[in-house]
Amino acid sequence: MNTLLFSSESIWTMLHGLVLGGGAMLALAAALFAMRAMPATPAMDAPDARARVQSRYLTGLLVAIAVLLWLTVIGGTYIVFPPYRATPPEGLTDLSQYPRAFLLSSPGTAWLHRFGMEVKEHVPWIAAMLSTAVAFVGMQYRTTLLSDSRLRRMSSTMLAICFALVAGVALLGVFINKVAPLE
Amino acid sequence: MAPNDDQATAPAVGTAMAAILAAGIGAFAMGLFVILNEAGVFAAPSLYGPSGGVSGRTTFAAIAWLIAWVVLHNRWKGQQVESGRVFALTLVLVGLGVLFCLPPLWGLL
Repeated sequence: MNTLLFSSESIWTMLHGLVLGGGAMLALAAALFAMRAMPATPAMDAPDARARVQSRYLTGLLVAIAVLLWLTVIGGTYIVFPPYRATPPEGLTDLSQYPRAFLLSSPGTAWLHRFGMEVKEHVPWIAAMLSTAVAFVGMQYRTTLLSDSRLRRMSSTMLAICFALVAGVALLGVFINKVAPLE
Repeated sequence: MAPNDDQATAPAVGTAMAAILAAGIGAFAMGLFVILNEAGVFAAPSLYGPSGGVSGRTTFAAIAWLIAWVVLHNRWKGQQVESGRVFALTLVLVGLGVLFCLPPLWGLL
């Protein structure tokens, strides 16, 4: 008797989508809020202890976002995607173990692969690159990231783009996994 | 171009702008590899068989991103650059990169 509640593929999918991707989205939301709410030390003043502490927390958050997104995209591409796209044996009628073939077998679900998965294959890598740039700026500029209005505005915009991309891709992932879960 | 007073007192953002523009170039490279593949012009080789062509396209784009970052970083490190223009260019590159990754566009090729 098989006593496992979840298959390894299912666990990897949850780790990829919920833990890593979901964690990145939470961290992105927190970072966007922090960039908006944290007071800035005037550029001409030396940063005080509070400014240094808040910039350290913010930088940690920015690095966490980048790490989570890279783990998400690498895990997605090299661990979760292969079983998704596996080709079923000739003549197999039950395609439930082959998500891509299952989605493409019906006109009503084919768009989930032809649009949803195609977007998911590439767009998250863009978010990972953008978040890495912001994390690098945070590490390099520390308190200046909050006190310099240009850096603050550009970093916030990049994070907002990241959030929009990751949220859209996550939604597509939910749709795909709802219709054709990896089991 | 001589810097104005604001630029003279502002921190040099060359290092930041190199990272930001490189990310835009990486995003554009991603879209470019995707759309070239869909147009049948250039297919990045698969680097990991079970993942198929996506492994090549994403790796090539990541390499383009890192190369752009190294080159820009060495060129702009510690310098003052026109952040507004560079950031606008970055947004255009990111927009095109994302656009090229959208399947409805491929149908127009």
